[in-house]
Amino acid sequence: MADSIITTAGLGHAYGDIVALHHVDLEIPRGRVGLVGANGAGKTTLIKILLGVLHPTVGTTTVFGADPQTDPIVVRSRVGYMPEGACLPLHQSAADFAVYAAELAGIPPRAARQRASDVLTLVGLHEERFRYLGEFSTGMKQRAILAQAIVHDPEVVFLDEPTAGLDPEGRDEMLDLISRLGAFGINVLVSSHVLPDIERTCDWVVMLDGGRVLRTGPLEGLTDTDTVEIELLDDPAPVVAALTARGAHAEVDRQTIVFTLAGGDPFLLARDVLAETGAGLRRLGPKTTTLEDIFLKGDGEA
Amino acid sequence: MSDRSGVVFDLGYSPHEGPRLGRLGAVRAVIKDGVRRVLGLRRRARRKVLPWLLFSIALLPAAVFVGLAFFVGTFSPEAESPFGGHVEYIGLVGTLVMLFIALAGPELLIPDREEGVLAVYSSRPLTVGDYLLARAGAMAIVVAAFMIVPNLLMYIGFAAIDEGGFASTLASNADDLLRILGATAAYLFGYGAPAFLIATYAKRNGPATGVYLALMIGSAGVASALSEAGNIPGGRWGALLSIYQHPEIVRSWVFGQAPGPGSVPTNAGFEPWASLATIVVVTLLTAALTHRRYRRLM
Repeated sequence: MADSIITTAGLGHAYGDIVALHHVDLEIPRGRVGLVGANGAGKTTLIKILLGVLHPTVGTTTVFGADPQTDPIVVRSRVGYMPEGACLPLHQSAADFAVYAAELAGIPPRAARQRASDVLTLVGLHEERFRYLGEFSTGMKQRAILAQAIVHDPEVVFLDEPTAGLDPEGRDEMLDLISRLGAFGINVLVSSHVLPDIERTCDWVVMLDGGRVLRTGPLEGLTDTDTVEIELLDDPAPVVAALTARGAHAEVDRQTIVFTLAGGDPFLLARDVLAETGAGLRRLGPKTTTLEDIFLKGDGEA
Repeated sequence: MSDRSGVVFDLGYSPHEGPRLGRLGAVRAVIKDGVRRVLGLRRRARRKVLPWLLFSIALLPAAVFVGLAFFVGTFSPEAESPFGGHVEYIGLVGTLVMLFIALAGPELLIPDREEGVLAVYSSRPLTVGDYLLARAGAMAIVVAAFMIVPNLLMYIGFAAIDEGGFASTLASNADDLLRILGATAAYLFGYGAPAFLIATYAKRNGPATGVYLALMIGSAGVASALSEAGNIPGGRWGALLSIYQHPEIVRSWVFGQAPGPGSVPTNAGFEPWASLATIVVVTLLTAALTHRRYRRLM
């Protein structure tokens, strides 16, 4: 892929006898990319390898063309990282820590102060910026962690379980912030085991399962289907019979019929069959496939 | 009324288009943060109390001596004060420095590690070596201030009121400056390295400070017992475990004086260079072990 910002080839990592990543080949494009998988799927291990914190057992990886193992300074100059869990000095104010996080990335002190103020405002901590981080709630801490991850204007930011521990309102606000990062020109690699979070924030997805790549690709393509779902008010049997007679493959679940048609437009067929049988229609539309469906199904390209 | 009233400007996010100072800027930031941290600057008031109290105690006698000399005219610190000249004063400040390092060593390393802040460093242009050297640099700056500022005050203050003239007195005592620097380095490495080593493995500041003080204060007793026990083969080498005394021995050596009568390594027959060598070995060992531990963390 020509515009990949991250590539891995045959990447593997093991903690002793436990294999965390197994032959991972990836080409991650610019934009907002979701890294999904259950706990222990290898998401955090992959991020730590990309940062140069962990060293792969086998394989290679590049971030913006540089190898994090041999050129960690080059890679770390261009990334931000929101780790899972706490990473805040509890006896420092949010403003001081944000300034420090910017200066750590080489931003000159005066610009660092300005950027810290701007970014804390952006994440909704402007009023609380002079409070000590130890006094923050979980939601405020997550915002402060996000602020340190983007305060130095990185080219890509790795977000590891950014909604962990947040209440529904805090989660909603965090996802909104993540969705906006793309508009700021910051590429995002967000790791989560909460599939709806990825569906809401990302336009590309990498699915990991047991250290292997289950599926990767644009979210739109992954969730698009040519399956039609019809929910009826009446007995579905006549409609199913008519659909089957015209070559469709239909499955029935109480009042709902899900069918596919090999060749031809399934919606035109649905219109014709409903008109022919006179069945009462409650709902008609494409069957929505979620990441969860894909993940649980576990098939597809690797 | 202007037609712009009521407009809310969403400043949003603006990219950084100015310079980036890279690795050097990152190291400078870690040093600055380290200095602030150990002095309690931009922290709660109670975090400032101990470091500034120790610093005041270190500075106060020097200021008093210079003041007395200025007002009385005939005051000589070597003859008339319990702390004598530079060599004795460094001995006094050395004890304060040890207390300061007992607090500063853990504060420089443990919170970053235990509060997870190392994860932030792992996404910045900084290597493990850069981070550790910058933390040690912060310690060096503050310890140097502890030891050098009061001695510099005495050096300049006494020269200013000396009848031989300011410039000529400064010039004739210039060797003292180098000796002060040498002694400062001995205290920095001799007391700082064990503190860093303990802080590398400790999980909390308080216990780390306690272990460090117990080690420093108890080391002379253990070393003395080992070196004087005739039935232990090679027991004489145990005298070098008196790590609290090595900087004092080097200080006396640098100023051309004999170590005090209670110096365990000297009483066991070791020359001052053995104390210097011990400081170097402990420092290198600390550097290796600390780097090894942190290489796995960031």
